[in-house]
Amino acid sequence: MKIEVLNAAYGNTDTPIARLDARTIFVWYLFYALFPWLTHSWIVLAGMFLMLTATIYLARVSYLLLFLFIMGIIGQGGMVLAVSLFFGGNFETIMPILMFETKLAIISLAGLIAFSTMEPEKLSDGLLKIGVPGQVSFSISYGYRMLPTLIEEYNHVFMSFRLRGKAPEKHGLFYWRSAVYFMKLIVKSFYPLMLSSAKRARTTVESLESRGSLVSFNNKEVKKVKLAHMKFTYKDILFAIFNILYVLMLFMLAIALN
Amino acid sequence: MSQLKKRYTLTEQQKMMVFILSMSLFGMATMVSELLPELKVGIVEFKVEYFLFIPLSLAILFHPLHAAVGAALGRIIFGEIMLGKFEALGEIESFLALVLSLYVAGIIVRDPSNRFMVGLASILAVIIDQFISMGVDIGKVWIGVEELETIPGLYESVVAVEGFAFLNDVIVSGTLFAMIPTMYLVPKLYGKIEPLLGMKPKTKDLQIPFSDIITPRFMVGAVIVAVVAFLAEALSESDFAPSFEWAYAAENEFLFTIISLIVAALVSILIIWRVMSKRENAETAR
Repeated sequence: MKIEVLNAAYGNTDTPIARLDARTIFVWYLFYALFPWLTHSWIVLAGMFLMLTATIYLARVSYLLLFLFIMGIIGQGGMVLAVSLFFGGNFETIMPILMFETKLAIISLAGLIAFSTMEPEKLSDGLLKIGVPGQVSFSISYGYRMLPTLIEEYNHVFMSFRLRGKAPEKHGLFYWRSAVYFMKLIVKSFYPLMLSSAKRARTTVESLESRGSLVSFNNKEVKKVKLAHMKFTYKDILFAIFNILYVLMLFMLAIALN
Repeated sequence: MSQLKKRYTLTEQQKMMVFILSMSLFGMATMVSELLPELKVGIVEFKVEYFLFIPLSLAILFHPLHAAVGAALGRIIFGEIMLGKFEALGEIESFLALVLSLYVAGIIVRDPSNRFMVGLASILAVIIDQFISMGVDIGKVWIGVEELETIPGLYESVVAVEGFAFLNDVIVSGTLFAMIPTMYLVPKLYGKIEPLLGMKPKTKDLQIPFSDIITPRFMVGAVIVAVVAFLAEALSESDFAPSFEWAYAAENEFLFTIISLIVAALVSILIIWRVMSKRENAETAR
C-alpha cells in the first residue's frame, strides 16, 4: 500500500502525454473540466469519454488509481439511484443520473490524466509560469521532500505509544474497544509530531532566509531564469490541433445525427 | 480599566513558519486519514473525513490566516496531488471552504486556555466547512442535470444523500476528530509550541481585525467568482452547445464530408507524430 502510494506520487516520464508542455496540459484539462457542464448532448459526452479512454492508455495511469476511480463512480451513482428509486422515482430516472455520472467521470478522468502522470517539478514549474505565487511551488517540492520523513516519524511515535501503552484485553463487540484504543493513539501521536515539526519549520525558514529565498519567490528575474527551459514544441502544436479538430467533429456529429 | 488592544502582527519569517508547519502537518494527517479503513453499515458511513484538530489547534494558537491557508494547501498537495487525484477546479471550493472555516475558528477564540470557546470554535469550523461542500454538491446536480423538476424523486434523493453525509461528518468527524482532540491539545500546546517558532503566545489583549483578510482585492475576487458561477449556470440552462447557427444551415451531406475530412486530418496528425518522435528518438540514440 505504502509503495503503491509513493509510486502514484512520483509519476512516469516517458509517455507521449508526459512530454507535452505543462501549459498545454493545463489548457487541455481546463476544457475537459468545464465543458461537460455546458452540454446535454449524449454524442458529445460519449465522444469526449472515448477520447479520454484512449488518452488514459497513452498516459499509462496507474491501475490502483483507475480502480479507485471506477469504484467511486459506481458507488456514488448507485447510491443516488437507489435512494431516488426509494423516493418514488422510476426507471426514467436512470438516464439523467447516467448522464450526470458521465459528466463527473469525464471531469475526474481528465484530472487523472493531466495531473497523476505529471512529475512534481513539472507541475510546480507550470503553476509558477501561469502566475501562482512562488510559495505554492515551494510547498509542493517541500511536501515531496518531507513526506517520507514525516511518515517515518509518525510511525515511530505511534509504535512507541503502542509499546509503552496497554492494549485493551477484550476486543469488545465488533472490536469497538480496539478501535477506540487505536483511534486515541492515532490522535495522540500527533502531539509530539506537532512539536518536532514546529522545530523543523523553524530550521527550514532559517535556511530559506539565509539563501534569500523569501525574496526570490516572487521575483520576476529569478522566475525567468528558472522557467527558461519551458517551451512549446511541435508535439504541443500537433496535440492541440488534434484535440480541436476532434471536438469540432463531435459537434458536427451531434448536429448531423440529431 | 480598559486596555488598548494591540494588533497581532508577525514578521514575514514567522508567517512562513506557521504556513510550513500547518501545511506539512495537516498534509501528513490527510494522508493518514485517506489510508484509514472506513466502516459502512447500509448507507450509514463511519468514516474519518479529516483530522481537522491539527489545523484547528494551529489556527487558534497562531495567526489564523496563515495556518488556514497552509492547511488547505497541505491537504491539496499531500492528499490530492501526491495520491494522484488532483482535480484543479474541483479543489477550489474545498480550499476556500477550509480556509474560511479555520479562519473563523481562529478569530473566535481570543483566549486559547478557555476550553469552552475552543470546543465551540472547532465544531463551528466543521459545520461551516461541511455545509459549504454540501451546498456545492447539491448545486452540481442542479446544474448538471437538465429538467430536474420533471424527474420524480431525484432532487429529494440528492438532498437526502448529501444531507445525511453532512450530519454524519459533523457528528463523527466533527466531535470525535475535531472538537475533543482540539480541546485536549490546545491547552497542552499553549505556551509550549510558540517559543519553538520564536514568538510570544497569543494573549487576550491581542486583536486580529477582519480587515486583514477582507481587502478590496478579496472582494473583487469574490464578485468575479460569483459572476462566473452565475454565467456558467445560465449557459447550461440555455443549452448553448452545440447549437451554432451556421451549422444548422448546412446540409447533412456537407457535414458528413467535413467530418470525414477531419477524420483524415486526425489520422495524418497521428502519423506525423509517430514519424517525428521516431526521428527524434533516433537522433538521441546516435
